[in-house]
Amino acid sequence: MRRVPWLALGALLAGLGAWASTWLRPVADLLPGCAFKHFTGLACMTCGLTRCVMALGQGDWRGAFHWHPAAAGLAFLLPLLSLWDLRRARRGDPYPRLPDSRKARTFIWVLLLAVWAFQVVRGI
Amino acid sequence: MLFPFSASCRALLRPGEAFAPAPPSLARACWEMARVWMPLALLNALGTAWRMGQAYELLRRGAVATGLFERFGVDPSDLRAALASLPPAPAFGRIWPWLLLAVPLGVLGTWLHHAVWDHLGLWLLGGLKRKRGFRTSLLAEAQALRVAALGTLLGLLGFVPVFGTLLALPLLLLDAYLWVFRGFALAARHDCEPWRGLAATVVHAVLVSVCGLGLLGLTLFVARLAV
Repeated sequence: MRRVPWLALGALLAGLGAWASTWLRPVADLLPGCAFKHFTGLACMTCGLTRCVMALGQGDWRGAFHWHPAAAGLAFLLPLLSLWDLRRARRGDPYPRLPDSRKARTFIWVLLLAVWAFQVVRGI
Repeated sequence: MLFPFSASCRALLRPGEAFAPAPPSLARACWEMARVWMPLALLNALGTAWRMGQAYELLRRGAVATGLFERFGVDPSDLRAALASLPPAPAFGRIWPWLLLAVPLGVLGTWLHHAVWDHLGLWLLGGLKRKRGFRTSLLAEAQALRVAALGTLLGLLGFVPVFGTLLALPLLLLDAYLWVFRGFALAARHDCEPWRGLAATVVHAVLVSVCGLGLLGLTLFVARLAV
């Protein structure tokens, strides 16, 4: 059965989006800041993401890791993930289900909260 | 049926019972969603583009409250000169054909986006059953978004001068309700507790929309009030 490589297509779109975000650079300083940070003084979970994406669009990986390490790390993995997805689609395999594991879910929650805490501590 | 959206109204008023009947096929649910939502989304996009074009032209003519800018040390005459130098907005006639392409892509893209993130949110909250996968989330989202199209219809009232301004806050509250409403469909189709479905949509909002959607919503909100 023929399968669609949705992840690879999504990665391609994300790459195009990062490239297109460089058009925002001239007006980057005019963009309104994070409302959550404005009212609480603390970075939100996605603070630094826009600057990270703009850095990625320019190929500035060092800058991208500085602004949002988790998003930059994910962007680094996207080509590998795309290759896996293309192979999966060519072989006609379905996507595997998300693991029904409390440990896996807890790990992701801890990872998300750790990324947030890291951004708060750094004052991004 | 009293009027075309009576079933949607009932679903919004009694969300716990709205998804009790047996689900249709995914293709049928997707077609129903597109049939109801796409024309309304197109009207909404046309209205928004037209209204934003008008607001932009008013801005170019200097129709802007300068008081706030003066507080930041901006000379009003400099501000007006800068605004007058902005390029003219493209004619509405050049924009609307693009919307015919962009709106269907936007509708299908929104459906897929919501399904992916709500599915992930539901997994993070332990609401996924072993035998029900992403296809079930796609079905739930299609059914919920078909109902939520009623919000797009009511949102058209936001374009009515004065009335639209008065309705801005109630429409925002309705938007918030329609966001979490998808959680009822998710819970029903994945056969989990409703709180997990509702919380999945909130997790989705926290993970994805803290900045991006807030900024987009604020921009559209301001654009609607601008004229």
